[in-house]
Amino acid sequence: MKVDLVVDARYKSCPGPLLALAEAVAKSSPGQVIMLLATDPAAPQDIKEWASSVNHRVLKVEKINEVYQIYVEV
Amino acid sequence: MPKISIIVSSEKLDKLLPAMTLATTAAIMGWESEVFFTFWGLLALKKGYVPREVSSDYKGYEDELKRAVSSGVMPSWREVLEQGKKTGRLKIYACSTTMSLLGIKSEDLVEYVDNVVGAATFLDSAKDSDISLFIS
Repeated sequence: MKVDLVVDARYKSCPGPLLALAEAVAKSSPGQVIMLLATDPAAPQDIKEWASSVNHRVLKVEKINEVYQIYVEV
Repeated sequence: MPKISIIVSSEKLDKLLPAMTLATTAAIMGWESEVFFTFWGLLALKKGYVPREVSSDYKGYEDELKRAVSSGVMPSWREVLEQGKKTGRLKIYACSTTMSLLGIKSEDLVEYVDNVVGAATFLDSAKDSDISLFIS
């Protein structure tokens, strides 16, 4: 998957990952893909809730070595 | 979009952080969000105010919370607030009665306060909220 931007929010607890992602989204263009890295176990569900609320899309969530990779289409 | 109205009556770190986390998260989710700072909560809106304490009942956790903020695991309450303001959907109101009670003037308040209002004005604004919370 083509990733336009990686946002590293590892070791940040709520609301850190969402704040970091929202900041990156504000600087991105529609159609771009952001990969958010997070270790907060609440992050995948939080990001999905946010995405459905503001019409962005979570394309995929993977967990590799305790790190979530959350792919979001802006 | 839904709307959340929060009343904050404490200036302590352990009250400000969860209140602003909810308010800013709501704004980032596209919700309308408003926070009314009253009584001791208003102290947090004074220019230069930095919360250094948690509520007295939870003193034992103070160092842990401060460490979480200083290490970046948790954002500072002011960072959270500022990011909420950037959405244009977070409104910050200061209680007019508390202003006179504590001798605080408009120029003493940080620039992101949207308005100084009384109880009736805030209630009128909050009456159609989906979620309303009092954090004390």
